[in-house]
Amino acid sequence: MRLFYLVKKEILEIIRQRELLVLLFLAPLIQIIILGYVITTDIKNVPVEVVNLSNSRAASEITARLRASPLFRVVKLSEKPEKAEDVLRRGEVRALIEFRDSPGRGRWAWTLPEVHILMDGIDANSSQIAAGYVNGIIKDYLQEKLRRAGLPMPVEAKTLIRYNPRLRSINTMGPGIVALLLTILSVFTTAFSFVREREQHTMDTLLMSRLRPMEIFVGKAMPAVLIGLLDMVLGIGVVILWFHIPLRGSVLYLFLASLLYLAAILSYALIISTVVVNQSQAMFFSWFSLVLFLLLSGFLTPLESIWARAPALAVLTEINPLRYLIKIIREIFLKGNGPAFFWRDLLALGGIAVVLTSLSLLNFRRFISK
Amino acid sequence: MRRLRAVMAKEFFHLLRDPRSLSVVFIMPLVQIFIFGYAISFDLENIPVAVIDLDHSEPSARLIKDFERSTVFVLKPLSGARREGDFAAADRALRAGRVKEVLVIPAGFAGRIRQGRTAEVGLIIDGSDSNVANRIYQYNQMIIQRFAAGLKGLEDIFQVKTKVYFNPESRSVFFFVPGLVAVILLMISAMLTASSIARERELGSVELLFISPLRSGEIILGKTLPYVLVALATGSFILFFSHFWFGVPLRGSLPVLLLFALLFVLTGLSFGVLISTLAPSQRVAMLGSVLATLLPSIMLSGFIFPLDSLSAPLRALSEIIPATHFLRIIRGVAIKGADLRHFLKEGASLAGLSLITLSLAVLRFTRLRRARR
Amino acid sequence: MKGRPETVRAVEVSDLTKLFGDFRAVDHISFAVERGEILGFLGPNGAGKTTTIKMILGLLEPSGGRISILGLDARKSREDIKKATGYMSQQFSLYPLLTVRENVEFFGGISGLDRAEIRGRQEALAGQLPDGLLRLPVRNLPPGLRQKVALFVSLLADPELVFLDEPTSGVDPEARRAFWHTIYGLRERGKTILVTTHNLDEAEYADRILVIHQGRIVLEGDPRSLLETRKADSVEQLFREAIRSHETT
Repeated sequence: MRLFYLVKKEILEIIRQRELLVLLFLAPLIQIIILGYVITTDIKNVPVEVVNLSNSRAASEITARLRASPLFRVVKLSEKPEKAEDVLRRGEVRALIEFRDSPGRGRWAWTLPEVHILMDGIDANSSQIAAGYVNGIIKDYLQEKLRRAGLPMPVEAKTLIRYNPRLRSINTMGPGIVALLLTILSVFTTAFSFVREREQHTMDTLLMSRLRPMEIFVGKAMPAVLIGLLDMVLGIGVVILWFHIPLRGSVLYLFLASLLYLAAILSYALIISTVVVNQSQAMFFSWFSLVLFLLLSGFLTPLESIWARAPALAVLTEINPLRYLIKIIREIFLKGNGPAFFWRDLLALGGIAVVLTSLSLLNFRRFISK
Repeated sequence: MRRLRAVMAKEFFHLLRDPRSLSVVFIMPLVQIFIFGYAISFDLENIPVAVIDLDHSEPSARLIKDFERSTVFVLKPLSGARREGDFAAADRALRAGRVKEVLVIPAGFAGRIRQGRTAEVGLIIDGSDSNVANRIYQYNQMIIQRFAAGLKGLEDIFQVKTKVYFNPESRSVFFFVPGLVAVILLMISAMLTASSIARERELGSVELLFISPLRSGEIILGKTLPYVLVALATGSFILFFSHFWFGVPLRGSLPVLLLFALLFVLTGLSFGVLISTLAPSQRVAMLGSVLATLLPSIMLSGFIFPLDSLSAPLRALSEIIPATHFLRIIRGVAIKGADLRHFLKEGASLAGLSLITLSLAVLRFTRLRRARR
Repeated sequence: MKGRPETVRAVEVSDLTKLFGDFRAVDHISFAVERGEILGFLGPNGAGKTTTIKMILGLLEPSGGRISILGLDARKSREDIKKATGYMSQQFSLYPLLTVRENVEFFGGISGLDRAEIRGRQEALAGQLPDGLLRLPVRNLPPGLRQKVALFVSLLADPELVFLDEPTSGVDPEARRAFWHTIYGLRERGKTILVTTHNLDEAEYADRILVIHQGRIVLEGDPRSLLETRKADSVEQLFREAIRSHETT
């Protein structure tokens, strides 16, 4: 019963700060929508320069295809040699595509030029994918030519893309964005809550009351959980209705996973808030943790690659709750998987939640009897 | 001047009294750079692939070998396969995420090749991560093309030579460091400023500043200058560190780069002041500054997500985000070593934006002050 | 509270110490508070008053010494002690964003009052304040009224012991007099009140005073008899002399 009054007070305090409400509910929704449009890992419209030093018809035909493709934006077409380094330095193009004739290339020398792709390695992701596209266009062209010359390709690949046939990046990123925003909000809201009480000096009064430490703990955490869940519902609603991301699996498990995740992340934020001294520190720590969680979650880089490159850091991914949430979310949305597939991840998430919650409760007890 | 110094000094002491904050401010980006340097890369590695070979011929074995030899893929046996060609098991493995791709070589593969016809191989890719799937698709194409060309002795036709400039090992740090620097500069200048002023408003001590004989510009300068210095110091530290530890190039003249950093910091600062005049509490000020400065700067500046792929209206939006120009300058001048001449437009944009935001901040601050009188 | 003899003291503190690193905030002090008396806890800012109170209330862990409240060990019987104590902290700690009515509801609720009791209290407070004030957010109240509300809130559970930390700071003399009037009323009802203040001339309101300086007790006793026996004109003079002699020893 006492708990009820505490939760009511917390909620009243949040409602009384209109700006906070905007930040907690309206802003994230807008963010999700904007992010949905921005976080496209679909590379298209890549600015390139074509340097055609070849006299072959093939070179001009391939160039025509490059210009016609929506994947590229041929910014400049040159017939004189260019110093690639200088051009790339200026940053207007990500790659130069050079066609050269080379005499010693066997019987095909007179029809097919040498192709050099000179890439800007700084934005390696874009340039690599762009190089891949160029490869694809050239390959298609050559294949046609060969087929007409009576030399069909001996092997061809038929690709079937499951779960996301049009490879829409929003399908991949969308649910993750919701998870991300949830994390940002939860961490920031909670990390502040205790610092604020301390700064307002009302913590003492709370402690002097008949509220038990456990009750204070739950009472302050509960509104954050409620806000988190509410935001999640809103976020997922937006992501499904606005961006048409398919939801093929069970909403129930989505909620369960989110609840466990919220418990984990809020406990984490609570621990931060008792460790830091003022709100600036809370902010910095929260941000720091966020980035860490994000980088090591499989959201931006596949986990397999991290294991191959830096096993020591990859171990951290095993205790990263965001990693499990992202996996479960992606599986529920796109693959329609049931718990048979992700029960291990759910268990891991639950375990992390339990550990973090206990830690934060212990920490809280210690903190209040300082 | 003396009054200005007094305001600055107080702000400085407040900062210095907080060694934990300072260490966090320094250590945090360092750890991030470490992760970028060691764990994140643009090359895919270690992607698990399952194979269903229904042909068992010499060519099929060779194709499988080609896949195995690539650094991108690693072959995994199909667990739970009860027989040859257990597609159900493959489907399960794909769904569970144990493999990201299944390579299917149908029966008659070698036969068709021998007959001079086109043999098909099937590739089932897990599309739930679209970026990875896209890259996998391209790697597949390259491997199969090379294999096919090899069969006909046409290897060198399909040779497209690539050369990578400025970052021969495709290390992600080179790409992300400028962004990380921008983020930390923004965090310190926008967030700390916003929270500092908001805190004073909360405590009520801002009234003292309001009624002091100092001009609004002087007050703002005094309160924010320490943060400017801290921001610049931290930013430079990060750049130098990545240079010495990870070999991220650091070219161009340092004073010029510092100048641009200063302009960038000024924009962050002005935003911080603006937000602090609008926010009723410190907490709101901080959240607000994060949402208004940090997130757009991360999303729409080309820090992580390429700007080329954005639709026209969003691309236009990105042009008024200071971080976009700052990143272009740093990437171009500091890392690629370009001549400053080519980035005058960006420099001017940055200067213009900082002037505008600064004036807005001072105006807003003055108006608030006058309202209190 | 049943079963406790009337001879038990309200608060007994022996050899209480608090160290913050090397700094001795409170240095081996011992004193007692009798039931039904008003004890004035005086001393300049930073002398150790708030630290001592916090330790007595269990908000701060002592570095040494023993505390007993109403005959119970402060560390072991926290929950029982909480039921008998009311506390008003230095910053009138009410929730600024909530209205007066909501503050009363909250504090009443967590003290274990039921709905009817809470409503009764709200009405009682409404009677003591100007019209319509109950609906105002606390942050819009002037300090005098805020203090009044804070005091009211600390008494919601009708505690036997009341600890008031700097309740009159920033309050005008008129309101201060009204405040002490209320305190006397509390004493009539048999409560024990411990008040801290850095305002030395408030000493004369208390039954007994305890003056703290740099973590130690430098003066103790009934203010009127102290003034007489030491032939001082004001408590301030008493205080200055006590400090001087304390520093020379």
